[in-house]
Amino acid sequence: MVASNEQGTVDALLGGNVPSVTANVANGLRRWWPYYAMMAPGLLFFFIWHYVPIWEAKMAFEQVRIIPPNIWVGLKNFQTLFASPIFYQVLFNTLIISGMKILFVFPVPILVALLLNEVRSGRLRGVIQSAIYLPHFLSWVVIAGVFIALLSPTDGAVNQIAQSLGFQPVSYMTNTGTIRWVLVVSEIWRSAGWDSLLYLAAIFAIDPQLYESAELDGANRWQKIWYVTIPGIVPTIATLFILNMGMFLSADLNQVINLQNDVNASTIDIIDTYVYRIGLTTGEYALATAAGLFKAVIGMALVLVSHIVSKRLTGKGVW
Amino acid sequence: MFGNSRRTPFERMEYVLILSSLFLLVVFTVQPLLNLLALSLSEPSKIAGFSGLSILPDGFSPDVWLLLLQHPNVQRGIFNSIWMTATSVVIGVAGTALMAWGLSRPGLPGRRLIFLFVLVTIVFEPGIIPDYFLMKRMGLLNSPWSVILYKAINAWYLIILVRFFEEIPQELLEAAELDGANPFQVFWKVVLPLVRPALATIALFYLVFHWNEFFRGMIYLNDQTKWPLQVVLRQFVIEGDKVAIVGAANANNNIGLAQINIRALKAGMILITIVPILAIYPLILKFFTKGTMSGALKG
Repeated sequence: MVASNEQGTVDALLGGNVPSVTANVANGLRRWWPYYAMMAPGLLFFFIWHYVPIWEAKMAFEQVRIIPPNIWVGLKNFQTLFASPIFYQVLFNTLIISGMKILFVFPVPILVALLLNEVRSGRLRGVIQSAIYLPHFLSWVVIAGVFIALLSPTDGAVNQIAQSLGFQPVSYMTNTGTIRWVLVVSEIWRSAGWDSLLYLAAIFAIDPQLYESAELDGANRWQKIWYVTIPGIVPTIATLFILNMGMFLSADLNQVINLQNDVNASTIDIIDTYVYRIGLTTGEYALATAAGLFKAVIGMALVLVSHIVSKRLTGKGVW
Repeated sequence: MFGNSRRTPFERMEYVLILSSLFLLVVFTVQPLLNLLALSLSEPSKIAGFSGLSILPDGFSPDVWLLLLQHPNVQRGIFNSIWMTATSVVIGVAGTALMAWGLSRPGLPGRRLIFLFVLVTIVFEPGIIPDYFLMKRMGLLNSPWSVILYKAINAWYLIILVRFFEEIPQELLEAAELDGANPFQVFWKVVLPLVRPALATIALFYLVFHWNEFFRGMIYLNDQTKWPLQVVLRQFVIEGDKVAIVGAANANNNIGLAQINIRALKAGMILITIVPILAIYPLILKFFTKGTMSGALKG
């Protein structure tokens, strides 16, 4: 998930007091070299792990040969990619899954925060929070394992409840009609609690006087929520919504790859799992790199646009 | 928060409804984990019909846990996960702190450029295939260092730490500089002691991230003896590779681990993997909550 910041922090940093360029370079070096020396390992890491791969991505424009060198083929890999029906299927899956998550996952933490705010005892609220934050800190391997057990058609809790109510058991994990909902529900399980924290922080920042005057006006619980709390957290909601839109092409590789199986694969195959499969399993490196680069470029555009829009509207951006 | 006296029966009913919804959410969150715990602690003979709804073990037996913890693959996984995570955390915290120190000095020439250098990496990620070829080119494929060093310094955590560092009063730093301390000494003797809570926060961020990391281990490490616990778990529970845990000889002859219900073994494996997270959960609650509220990061 993306982050949100207090107003313009990094921009303020970026605009920091850079001394005039005319400053004596030698003097500057004498004063600042220890800092550069301490930053060197970090800078080297960023260079190797983030910039060298950009250079490696040129493979998207090459034909990969077993015996180097590769041959430059221009946009041929992209033509192959855009002519492939599977690519459109995974693009469609990605958009559908991201869309479902925005519609059905995004509002849940807001609701949770509103409910938590109504809890009068701070201790009880603390206990609830400790319980519902936990899944956020578990890996998707673990969460997938939990959901496979939970949804088991023979002894999973969900089907046992359904059967006691007279329904037939459903194999949710191997049903192409339900597997996307498994993604939605498992994402809610993982993040609804933890993500409510940001909204709760926004609610706690609302001026208590607003509630007091609303009470004097005779407002009931729902009127206070509607006229004070929700307007108070709209900026946070807007920021997180826009930032989520910036992640639209991701749809979470770690989640999908652990909930995917042979039967449901075609329904939840997303760009990232497609890249992984054709690249590292089938060995079509160039095509996979091209697909990855397509996602990276569109993804970058989405993040930048969402950042700018968010900054304009709410004063908070991605960083 | 609001006075008790003014509450009507209707308002009380509303409150019960609100608490019930939250209670349901708690049950939805915790029950699946408790069920797996109960399953893994039940008596082996009673596991077959164990209900997915139950949260209490049927009989009690530590057998599943003991068998798993004695299993060489599990032991190796735990060992690999611990040393790889620990190494990653040390490298990550050290590298991040050193870099944040420089970036938090307002006068540093080129600061703006370095920030841009870091921010670009957040916005543009060329994907897993270029990463894979980078590892290959560096000769790190099938080496645990590919996983340890992969993105050892996290751009988000760096930004958070810079913001923590900036809260240190400049007068303190200037006073130390006037006393003749060089930047290394200021960092070591003044800055680090002041930002200990921030470092703890970052260390926990890295710890949780690296402990939960499975994807890089899965694609870079061919050799099963090098797998971290998450990859061992994935092979067994997600890929359904029963032999990985039960053992081929056992599976064929239906002896040893093959006699234990596979559901219970999977449940036990899942829980073994989350024990370290549970062990530090109080710390996580304390530091993550603060780090998230004051810092930039969501998770």
